[in-house]
Amino acid sequence: MIDLSVNFAGIQLRNPTILASGIMGVSVASLKYCEESGAGAVTCKSIGHAERMGHHNPTVYSWGQGLTNAVGLSNQGVDEGVGLLKEMIETLNVPVIASCFADTVDNIAKVAEKLIASNPVAIELNLSCPNTENDFGLMFALDTDATTRAVSQVKKIAGKTKVFVKLTPDASNIVDVGKAAEAAGADALTAANTLSGMIIDIHTKRPILTNKFGGLSGPAIKPVSVRAVYNLYKAVKIPIIGTGGINTGEDAIEFIMAGAAAVGIGSGIYYRGIDIFKKVTDEISEFMEKNNYRSIEEMKGMANI
Amino acid sequence: MKNEKPRILPIKNIIIENDRVKTFVFEYEMDFAPGQFVMTWIPGYDEKPFGIVSRKKGEFMITVAAVGESTKALHSMNVGDMVGFRGPFGSTFSLPEAGSIALIAGGYGMASLFNLSKEAREKGIEVHVFLGARTKAELLYLDWMKELGAVLHLSTDDGSEGYKGFNTDLFAEHVKGHPPTRTSSPPSQGGISESLLPEGGLAKDLPFEGSTSKGGGMLTKVYTVGPEIMEMKVADICYQNNIPFEVSLERYMKCGIGICGSCCVDPVGWRMCVEGPVIDGEKLKEIIEFGKYHRSASGKVEGYPWTKIS
Repeated sequence: MIDLSVNFAGIQLRNPTILASGIMGVSVASLKYCEESGAGAVTCKSIGHAERMGHHNPTVYSWGQGLTNAVGLSNQGVDEGVGLLKEMIETLNVPVIASCFADTVDNIAKVAEKLIASNPVAIELNLSCPNTENDFGLMFALDTDATTRAVSQVKKIAGKTKVFVKLTPDASNIVDVGKAAEAAGADALTAANTLSGMIIDIHTKRPILTNKFGGLSGPAIKPVSVRAVYNLYKAVKIPIIGTGGINTGEDAIEFIMAGAAAVGIGSGIYYRGIDIFKKVTDEISEFMEKNNYRSIEEMKGMANI
Repeated sequence: MKNEKPRILPIKNIIIENDRVKTFVFEYEMDFAPGQFVMTWIPGYDEKPFGIVSRKKGEFMITVAAVGESTKALHSMNVGDMVGFRGPFGSTFSLPEAGSIALIAGGYGMASLFNLSKEAREKGIEVHVFLGARTKAELLYLDWMKELGAVLHLSTDDGSEGYKGFNTDLFAEHVKGHPPTRTSSPPSQGGISESLLPEGGLAKDLPFEGSTSKGGGMLTKVYTVGPEIMEMKVADICYQNNIPFEVSLERYMKCGIGICGSCCVDPVGWRMCVEGPVIDGEKLKEIIEFGKYHRSASGKVEGYPWTKIS
């Protein structure tokens, strides 16, 4: 019997697929739907200090080789978000990862502290949303110093909650930022967030997203994320969630062989439906059976030569 | 690979429906099924879902009321100006094999129901339309529905056309088999030609019976699109009389392609842009938020004025 379960940073997952932050994740029901569709764990949509409506549409669309989005971190604000997170944790059977963001290092610690009071198994610091530069300035995860400060402040108050750090492929050296996060006490890394980009409509002569630029995801960015995971795996000891363009079990295995201990799925829901979690899990299982692998752990980092 | 960048189309024609509502015509063969919607990009403003209407091959339309910044911007556009479309998206209505159907439409609900009526008529199904509006000028598509040979049961809040009151009350009376006698003056020249209507049409408010009534089976299925309070009343009538029905449920949408989670309904999590907007009456029972609340752009729950959230 093939064992698809993984122990990720001390958290037991029934399979290595994790719903990525920002996808579904608005409500308890949306996450429950992902659990029922086979997800091994889920991440809620990032929660910040105050309610945000996000950018005007268009906020998300497919452009041919992937998706692009600039939703703009819409959320209810942490005061409502605390109750929401609590209900998510109570309702779901699989682990719920609490994603959070803020405009300053001090504020991310404040938001994280409120969320940690609900005892999530893990909190993921979204230091890498590319779509809120006008409000928030540059992403923390572009910079080792800002990342160090954010992680160490949250780690101080995290208690039993594991601290994950979501990195950006926009960083000039994602490995340095990953190492800084590890040194500051991070328990795991998520590599990586969307890649900044812009698409212009030549008929109306303007960028299509209301935010003008946005994050690219889906098949187009998979090689960028695989490379990030590959290089991070060599440089850090903490486990990595490989995220970016996973549509199939083979994509997931590519990330695992690069060094990921679990895989994030987001835009793939568009390409393969909400049951992508079950499909990817089944496909991983088939591949393992055919090639005589017994566990995810056994395949981890195999291609990292 | 799918490519759903907004398809940019020039406005071909603009039909002024009344002082708040315009219909925009585009030359493009939209491969859609009744009940589906398009995400409509008004460049520089916003992108919003609208029901698709098509009266002939190679052409489709959207009907829009000027209510907010983006729809006012669209209203200020001229023939030749560019609008973007993604889609069609969402689930579709399904017709019975035979019999007669009733459509209960309010607001701009008729836009989502027009092509269902068209398909039904092409299959030889009798179509009863309970179209309600605040006032006569807001009753949409009357000429087009007449052309299809639908039986119109009109109602207005102010009694300026048809039954004075709600279309749901008029529908309920028909289900009971006792249509009310007309309370307002006969229809004026609103484009309704009785000769085109089967069995007397509008003026006589053709009675039919609910499927559980004596001699039942005439009314095979009901479809409703409009304000949620109206849809709720229709659902109640259908449940009470065991009439199968489908509803189009509107929720705040961002992506339209099933990933952002904005339009997921409680507690099942179904996405109204993928599993919806058309929901079967039996499945609707599982959506506890129907008629009670929805979520805003931030994801916060907003109750309706007529309900308290428990």
